[in-house]
Amino acid sequence: MTPLLETRKLNKRFGGLQVTADVDFSLERGELHCLIGPNGAGKSTFFRLILGEYEPTSGQVFYEGRDITTLEPHDRIRRGISVKFQVPGIFKALSVKQNLEIALQHHLEGHSLRGEIGRQLDFLNLTAEADQAAGNLSHGQKQWLEIGMATSLKPKLLLLDEPTAGMSPEETHATGEMVHALRAEGMTVLAVEHDMAFVRQIATRVTVLHFGRIFAQGSIDEIMADDRVAEIYLGQGHGAPHHA
Amino acid sequence: MFDAIFGFLYQFGDASAFLVLCASGLAIIFGMMGVINLAHGEFIMAGAYTTVTVAKLGAPLPLAIVCGALFAGFVGILLERLVIRHLYGRPLDTIVATWGVSLIASQGTLILLGPSITDVSTPLGSVQIGALSYSVYRFVLMATAVAIIAALYLLFNFTRFGVLARATIQVPDMAEALGVNTRLIYSLTFGIGAALAGATGGLYAPTMTLVPTMGSQFITEAFVTVVTGGSDVFLGTAPAGVILGFIRSVMTTWEGQLAGQIGLLIAVIIVIRVLPRGVSGLILRERA
Amino acid sequence: MKRRPLIVRLLSRLEGPQTLGRGWRFWAGAAIVLAAAVVYPLLTDSYTVGNTVYFFNWVFMALGLCLIWGYGGALSFGQTAFFGIAGYAYGVITLNYGADYGLTLWATLAAIAVAGLVAAILGYFLFFGRISGVFLGIVTLAVTLVLERFMAQTAGPEWHIGSARLNGFNGMNGMPNLTIPWPGEDGSLVLAPDLPLYYVVLALLVIAYLALRILVNSSFGNVLVAIRENPQRATMLGYDVRKYQLASFVIGSALAGLSGVLYTTWGQYITPSSMGITAAALPIVWVAVGGRSDLTTTLLGTILLIGGFQALTIYGSQYALVVMGALLVVTVLLAPEGLIMALALLPQRLLKRSARDAT
Repeated sequence: MTPLLETRKLNKRFGGLQVTADVDFSLERGELHCLIGPNGAGKSTFFRLILGEYEPTSGQVFYEGRDITTLEPHDRIRRGISVKFQVPGIFKALSVKQNLEIALQHHLEGHSLRGEIGRQLDFLNLTAEADQAAGNLSHGQKQWLEIGMATSLKPKLLLLDEPTAGMSPEETHATGEMVHALRAEGMTVLAVEHDMAFVRQIATRVTVLHFGRIFAQGSIDEIMADDRVAEIYLGQGHGAPHHA
Repeated sequence: MFDAIFGFLYQFGDASAFLVLCASGLAIIFGMMGVINLAHGEFIMAGAYTTVTVAKLGAPLPLAIVCGALFAGFVGILLERLVIRHLYGRPLDTIVATWGVSLIASQGTLILLGPSITDVSTPLGSVQIGALSYSVYRFVLMATAVAIIAALYLLFNFTRFGVLARATIQVPDMAEALGVNTRLIYSLTFGIGAALAGATGGLYAPTMTLVPTMGSQFITEAFVTVVTGGSDVFLGTAPAGVILGFIRSVMTTWEGQLAGQIGLLIAVIIVIRVLPRGVSGLILRERA
Repeated sequence: MKRRPLIVRLLSRLEGPQTLGRGWRFWAGAAIVLAAAVVYPLLTDSYTVGNTVYFFNWVFMALGLCLIWGYGGALSFGQTAFFGIAGYAYGVITLNYGADYGLTLWATLAAIAVAGLVAAILGYFLFFGRISGVFLGIVTLAVTLVLERFMAQTAGPEWHIGSARLNGFNGMNGMPNLTIPWPGEDGSLVLAPDLPLYYVVLALLVIAYLALRILVNSSFGNVLVAIRENPQRATMLGYDVRKYQLASFVIGSALAGLSGVLYTTWGQYITPSSMGITAAALPIVWVAVGGRSDLTTTLLGTILLIGGFQALTIYGSQYALVVMGALLVVTVLLAPEGLIMALALLPQRLLKRSARDAT
């Protein structure tokens, strides 16, 4: 089975700094895959390389078996990749309803567009706030709105950059449920995360990045039991990555 | 043969000096503070007018030029406190506001001082080199351009103020936490940029007619040089001034003044396209 | 589910999230203003009519800048460049070929097309080169100023296109007014600055205003404001940001071209000073002070400011320009959304404040 996403010998240098080093990564359809690693490990850069925001210094990115290394970001989005950023990337000055409309008007219009907007508002619990400026939402609501916008494109691959940052444990758990529901609808999810409870809740597989390289891969239990992983987080022997 | 080459070199040096001097004040303000000052031309005009007025009162030209620079610097600090200070982080609004100031300044000068003031003639006469004669003053301008870049380099790299200024501009919160009076630094840096503009006005005053709208003759060149150079004054503006001066003198020698200006514009568009962070971006990247 | 007919869909876009003014009260008010505008020229003398047309001519350029800057977020200083290009293009065509057979109308379309084409080329280099923000402003300003200098240097007789001399600083003049061809003995209708021209320009204004309202409230307009608010997010929703920016730039610049042609046919002259640095500042003043993020506030602001400017030039254009400069500074510092816009939002804000105080 061709992997949904694949990178081959992906490298990125900024001046003298090697941020992504020789990454051979593959993601199968239906996975809920988490990318973890200490700060500065190159997780966000990796996302940006997949999205096309950065051009790799060398190496290739494959999506559905096709080489997309030179494809523009908006073209990659149109092929079914979608992203939710760490800092809520919504249109703060526009209304919540309009935010969703801009996401959905791609493939819907008129009556069905309005219907789908209503459905999404319900799903995200934002019907009451539909006409408010999106910037006025609480932090958690902003995150959900953005996830809603990202998923409304019905992507095949969803990239989540720290989706639970700043969320309470209840909100985090609800987000985990949402991710499972999205997978049931056929989405593959690749998430950068620090919150290990969330990782445990959703991840089918985990990859650890360190200094831009893949350091370890496996199930969450294998990773948590791996002493070397603990070392790179803390510099010494003690304490595996734990609940945030 | 010699005449052709020397003549070209003279043109080249003259064009480069003009661009470097024009742009240095703007580059300090834009490169270090990210502020686009569309009133830059009016600071040049203010320096020129002050210089001429002081010179006509009997002061020697160099002193008059210093007065012009100081006056422009003072006005710059005033502008920074009243207007610019409120607009940090809003670059487009800064452009619009400084354009308003430019209108006020140029038209206000027109109202108060009339359509032109009597000028000062170019000092130092001319010298014969080979078969042609050249204005000595222009050589002085070339030397001054080099001297000013050198002085700025010393100021920003070897004085306490310079180091503090660079720190404040790059990491303002850190500088504040260390007890630096960041507001003062911003004002002074803007003032230095304005004073450089004033000095440029004073230096070129003996070579031009003084009208309130004379600033607009400098502003395109200044922006073009700053944009080509990128954000570093020394690695960017200076080389950009030289490169663009070269392009301009080639085009002028070949086709005339207008071709020189158009050549400049096309060069800028190409540079922005190919080197979005300017020449300094290229140099810094190669170095790293 | 059958789609609603096109005309219904278009009309429903006259109102929307991107424009102020909705509901029957707004449109009734607009109808009253329009009626007044229709009746007004019948009540005054020919000079005032011609003068009002002069005001109207500029509005297209302001609306174009409103689209590019207010809705698209791109500060372009190039409006006066396209104004000049279209004006000169009209002059060149009509001085060479005359005004018969409705040629002036074709010349108008061609001149706007020329401006649009230049905008497309320049815009391609700008937006597909990912130039934005202040650099966009600087390059468009540089283009405008170089164009002015270029045209100002074309004084010699060798500078001509066909039989139309460019004439350097003094500019081109003597081109024919807009002429609507009319069958029959009396011949064509020459639109000198008087009643017929007034109604033609007023009609164009209404059409442009309504068409732009529909455009900005459509899905195109949605994407445009999305790009203004968060270009990265717009890209990540699958939109090619560059194409939308280019489109709005060409439309806005074409509107500036329309202003240029109308100005040229109104006065029968065009000079390089229309592209000078002072001229280039004026659309920025109108749009910034009026309220760049809305078509209606821009429209009102432009007409008020041009009227005010003209009133002040009695004392001397320098005073008028000083006032314009001051307005610009004051607006940016105190009401960056625009003075007219601030007035329009005042009732809402007072209401909110009293609601807050009451609780």
